[in-house]
Amino acid sequence: MRRLAMGFIPLTDAAVLIAAAERGFAMAEGIEIELHKEVSWANIRDKVNVGLLDGAHMLGPLAIASSLGLGHVRVPLVVPFALNLNGSAVTIDKHVYAAMAEVGEDLSTAPGAAQALGKVVRQRKAEGRDPLTFASVYAFSTHTYLLRHFLTGGGIDPDRDVRFVVVPPPFMAESLRGGLIHGFSVGSPWNSVAVEADVGRIAVLGAEIFGWVPEKVLGVHARFANAEPELLHRLVRALYAAARWCEDPANHDDLARLLGEPRHLNLPADVLKRTLDGRLHSAPGGRLRAHPDYLVLNRDGANRPERDHALWMYAQIVAAGQGEFAADAAREAMGVYRPDIFDAAVGPVPVKHPEPDCVATQFGAVFDARAFLGGGS
Amino acid sequence: MANDLSLRIVIVDESPVRAAILEEGLKEAGFQNVLRITGRTNLLERIYAIDPDVILIDLEDPSRDTIEQMFQVSREVKRPIAMFVDQTDSKTIEDAIEAGVASYVVDGLRKDRVKPILETTISRFRAFARLKAELEEAKSQLEERKVVDRAKMILMKMKGIDEETAYGLLRRTAMNEKKRIADIAQSIITAAELLR
Repeated sequence: MRRLAMGFIPLTDAAVLIAAAERGFAMAEGIEIELHKEVSWANIRDKVNVGLLDGAHMLGPLAIASSLGLGHVRVPLVVPFALNLNGSAVTIDKHVYAAMAEVGEDLSTAPGAAQALGKVVRQRKAEGRDPLTFASVYAFSTHTYLLRHFLTGGGIDPDRDVRFVVVPPPFMAESLRGGLIHGFSVGSPWNSVAVEADVGRIAVLGAEIFGWVPEKVLGVHARFANAEPELLHRLVRALYAAARWCEDPANHDDLARLLGEPRHLNLPADVLKRTLDGRLHSAPGGRLRAHPDYLVLNRDGANRPERDHALWMYAQIVAAGQGEFAADAAREAMGVYRPDIFDAAVGPVPVKHPEPDCVATQFGAVFDARAFLGGGS
Repeated sequence: MANDLSLRIVIVDESPVRAAILEEGLKEAGFQNVLRITGRTNLLERIYAIDPDVILIDLEDPSRDTIEQMFQVSREVKRPIAMFVDQTDSKTIEDAIEAGVASYVVDGLRKDRVKPILETTISRFRAFARLKAELEEAKSQLEERKVVDRAKMILMKMKGIDEETAYGLLRRTAMNEKKRIADIAQSIITAAELLR
């Protein structure tokens, strides 16, 4: 039995890692996973770097940025497994949301909500009021890029018309209540937590912006992947078995209870169950915003770390001004994702090829990989 | 050197005792501009106002992601403070993380100027961890003594023996069963409660 220390941040999409550790899937591969709850993505990165953690639940863009040495020390990471796709939402302060309802747009569609937010932002500007402040959970995160795409869809320039800050997920609802921020993009269940606290409204689910977007991954240090490839294969197999179990709605009650335990997310099981089922209350009192792909844990090849997803994330890093385009860096970014390790461990799985691009962009600019690699824009 | 000692150092730590120990250590080393920050409200504004050269922060502080993002947008704010994750050397970084502290330094500050600050920080964080461990050890020893005293009283009462004999009995049993006296004492208390 090999013992591996694995870090996670309390989020619903740590489900596959937690289930692998607690429901016997790791044990079946001769691995004992020791879970470590962490308070920041910076901690996850640093502890994997120095070897206090063997691997962790990680944001896809964090794995890429760390490997490229963007924003901090270079930490070469390897991603052999995607823990989930999708799972985020955008929550707006309830007063701002009320203003959005007054401008004659259809808030039930994502482009409508984006247009409404755009009108509110321009209104505020015309009145000479302070720009709105939006929060995501980490600079290098799909949440940041979701929010930027959503704002752009409403005619808002994310670099000039609004402010961006980073707030740890458990502090989102409180920051909204205190007026420090006006909206945020975060993974479940923290949108629901803000709704339950009656401080925010879920304006749009992540899947309504990008329908098939990379989220959390298993990230390990390159030295682990190089030194113990066979152990890494076993870990990937354990995670895949756990992911299949997590995807099955028949197991969602048990999974919600497991995730809700104090040592994991420390949240009510019914809130977690709704996020697993993709049926979220967008406002207190039961109005639902649902999407079949709200959170994808296993089906349609979701666990295979696709190289075009890595390239898409690198393109978002460049577009957000977090790094300058370089053809070498683009190749290196793609090299962080290792579908070859996944295939060797699990074997071939049926993979969905979304339209119109690799992240199934629902409105606004479509990602063109060839143009990006050719011109860097 | 005089220039180095005037570097502005900010300590972000919710543990007042540890922050005080670190501040004292840095001041002993000659650094005069050491400031402590607690609480998360307006953390970024307060850091901006101080405009530090070095930030030392508890590794387990959830504000780390917020602070790191600040370095990225700082290019666009009015008075930029371009700070970076400290890149002193991998051994020092490893030691710092294991000691439970992260450091950020202002752009352009040479590695050798940061090193003495970091070394002091690491040794003070370690000293604090040792102190805490010792305190916990002392606390548990006190608890154990209380448990042994209670078990002695129970034995004295039930068997009509004096204190010395009761203690001797505890010690012999512990030796025979290869257990700690405190463990035997605890099982006597548990048994007495069950049989009451």
